[in-house]
Amino acid sequence: MSNVLEVIGIEKKYPGVIANRDVSLQVREGSIHAIIGENGAGKSTLMKSLYGLIRPDAGQIKVFGSEVNLKSPQDAIELGIGMVHQHFKLADNATVLENVILGSEPTRFGFVVKYDQARKKLLEITKNYGLDIDPDESLSNLGVGERQRVEIAKVLFRGAKILILDEPTAVLVPQEVDELFANLRELVKNGLTVLFISHKLDEVLSIADDITIMRQGTTVATRKPKETNKKELAELMVGGELPKPKAGELKVSSESILSIKSAAYSRADGREILHDVNLELHGGEIVGLAGVEGNGQSELIELIMGLAQPSAGSVQVLGLDAATTLTREIRNAGVAYIPQDRQRDGLLMSAPLWENRILGHQFADPMAKGVWVNKGAAIEDSKRVVDEFDVRTPGINVLASALSGGNQQKFIVGRELTGDPKLIVAAQPTRGVDVGAQAIIWDHLMQARSKGAGILLVTADLEELFSLSDRIAVIYSGTIVSILNPAKTTPEDLGLAMTGAKSA
Amino acid sequence: MSTETKTAKAKSFFKSPARITLLIAGLFLIISLVESITGSVDISSPGTSGATLRFAIPLLMAGLGGLWAERAGVINIGLEGMMIVGTWTAAWFGYLHGPYVGILAAAVFGLASGFFHAILTVKIGIDQAVSGLAINLIAAGAARYLSGIYFPPVGGDRTVSPPVETLPSFTIPFVADFFKSIDEKNIFFLSNISGLLYGITRDLSVVTVALLLLVPLTSWILWRSKFGLRMRFSGENPMAAESLGINVYRTRYIAISVSGMLASLGGAYLALVASSVYREGQTAGRGFIGLATVIFGNWRPSGVFAGSLLFGFTDALRVRQAESVMSLILAAGIVALLLAIYYSVSRSWKPAGAYFGIALFALWVNQKVDTIPQEFVTVFPNFATLIVLTFLAQRLTPPAMAGMPYRRGAE
Repeated sequence: MSNVLEVIGIEKKYPGVIANRDVSLQVREGSIHAIIGENGAGKSTLMKSLYGLIRPDAGQIKVFGSEVNLKSPQDAIELGIGMVHQHFKLADNATVLENVILGSEPTRFGFVVKYDQARKKLLEITKNYGLDIDPDESLSNLGVGERQRVEIAKVLFRGAKILILDEPTAVLVPQEVDELFANLRELVKNGLTVLFISHKLDEVLSIADDITIMRQGTTVATRKPKETNKKELAELMVGGELPKPKAGELKVSSESILSIKSAAYSRADGREILHDVNLELHGGEIVGLAGVEGNGQSELIELIMGLAQPSAGSVQVLGLDAATTLTREIRNAGVAYIPQDRQRDGLLMSAPLWENRILGHQFADPMAKGVWVNKGAAIEDSKRVVDEFDVRTPGINVLASALSGGNQQKFIVGRELTGDPKLIVAAQPTRGVDVGAQAIIWDHLMQARSKGAGILLVTADLEELFSLSDRIAVIYSGTIVSILNPAKTTPEDLGLAMTGAKSA
Repeated sequence: MSTETKTAKAKSFFKSPARITLLIAGLFLIISLVESITGSVDISSPGTSGATLRFAIPLLMAGLGGLWAERAGVINIGLEGMMIVGTWTAAWFGYLHGPYVGILAAAVFGLASGFFHAILTVKIGIDQAVSGLAINLIAAGAARYLSGIYFPPVGGDRTVSPPVETLPSFTIPFVADFFKSIDEKNIFFLSNISGLLYGITRDLSVVTVALLLLVPLTSWILWRSKFGLRMRFSGENPMAAESLGINVYRTRYIAISVSGMLASLGGAYLALVASSVYREGQTAGRGFIGLATVIFGNWRPSGVFAGSLLFGFTDALRVRQAESVMSLILAAGIVALLLAIYYSVSRSWKPAGAYFGIALFALWVNQKVDTIPQEFVTVFPNFATLIVLTFLAQRLTPPAMAGMPYRRGAE
């Protein structure tokens, strides 16, 4: 079998980061080729290059044996490369057929859509590839699995020969995953080629013909499922060596800062996100919450901050019941919160820094003075934060949006660590910041710990996890599957636990 | 699967034109009944139906204008201002070069005003409500300013244009006569219907017919043409459209420009067909009522047409006799009674009780009140409209992204 797609030495740099370097990949015709790797391993960047969404700085892409230069998705589509996006791009208030044909409508005289002909073609596609969808159904009646089939049909309608599926199982329930896999097998049986991005080892081993592993922006190995196992894949994904845990004196107090007992959480649509979560956090320790993104971390944070209510079980924060306590009261009791999405949840982008300093502290001394905010105190304290955390800014009157991402992050961390909080919920505290700033933030977190604060560190950065954590709690598909001791944990153990291969 | 298909079929039947026709026929039967009881034939008189159509057309045009813009994802609050553009330009150019040129001018200037809204909302990204409001204010101010300059020297007034030559109208031969003859025979139900049809087949302006054709044309564009499909997706999910290579900006530019043209043509109708002059304040908020017909019509051309007829009817009734309102109250009472029976059969006691109460109240009013105060006559249609909208509002499917700012490249 020949290679339908070949990638040779692709490189993509963004200011300050190398997203892809020396990426090479061979995809055989009629195969399902899985690409696995952690968040930030460069999978998405590679896929965007293949679909013409971004242009690599160096390297070659060969499609059906000839070198191509993809300038836009349109170029990719013309070459027969189709992308099934993780977030569906569909309109509810239209039929399946309309969603499928949009943008490549067969027409008479260039403006009358030949709906009958399009319907016939779509029915042919759905029949040939076993995609169970009705062209005339309104999209608002469809579930997630069906919507994904519409997205696949959309790509096939445009004559794609190579399908890229970006984490297609992330939004599906197990039965839907089985259906999807049946569809994918049908596709390759008909001669199509599927590129399947995932970080779930079980799935990859069951569906793929070849597995390419990416780590830190590069492809590290390619394996066949028969010749490998989960352990090896996990090791390849996480990397052989891990940073050593920092030796720090552990002074865990007996005081329970955070106590989560068999907590569960379901979304409004009834989907269960968290179930039977148990976690204890004491003063003076850092518990790292490890896991692949989307396994319930965000929801767990929302429960702790009182932003969402558990459907079962209890969440006690500093002795308060988070389900019935206002977020404001939880914060006033001494909880600091570094949100993972700094621009959405951490800052008012169009407000000056000193106003941002008040956020979350607007009811407590010294930011509040009766019903008024204390502008003087806010300005003074903003200056302190800027100095202590080395926030690079022309002044404290500039808008938050004028700062770079890393400096925004330092400002938030500085704000949150003010006033000796008892519990610090730190979600991705060093995401997107440079090494120097990372050291400052780590240092402050360690200082807070030695002052007796309990820290819940949610992070995707393994170095951070191992350097700071006293214990590592691994979360997988909505529950905490194991508690590990970082000093005695091997990368394989962690990788396996994070991908659900092993539950201790 | 089979049960699902069945329910789907049942659903589509209740949404079908057949059902609507049946409903209208039933309603008309009730009105005929009421008219034969009360002896007042004003509701189904040719005068009322003709007036309804005349009042409905400007609303229809504003409504279609709103529909074009909102289907493409931009709310057009500026419809009122664009109608003013239409009234003024139609009257001025109509006075100078004849009514047909007037209509053409209204179309061109309306297109330009729509294009202006598109530049503000699509290109610059100004809040859609702010832009629309600005257009309303600018149009009203400009019309007043220009009237003061241009009209007085040529025999007009600071607020009124000189009269414009009227456009030809025609009576549909044979058909209108046929309806007229039946109307005069006073046969129950048939004569009532014929009276109504006679009213809309006689003295028809060519402009009326031309504008009415825009309803099926809009439907056809939306659901049959490539541009229509792309336009709908620009309003439903512009990000999806953009990802499939569709130029959302260009689509919106075209749709909003057409929106302005349609509203402006509604204004031209006011100035050239419904009257023969431009008069300040002639549009009288019809642009906003047009916006309401879009909601009433669930963002569908046929629905907008139905809505404009309903609002036009309320307008027409306002200038007619008080007895007809009494007839309507009685008719409403009968409808409420029927609904009460319907809900009792399906054992939904709460709505059944409510409708029974309404029915009783209507009958009580009919028995106890001799003459209805004129104020109530004026208010009744609006009141009825409000009730209709309240009940309809629960099943609306507006374009998902209408009114939301969209920037190219947004996720």
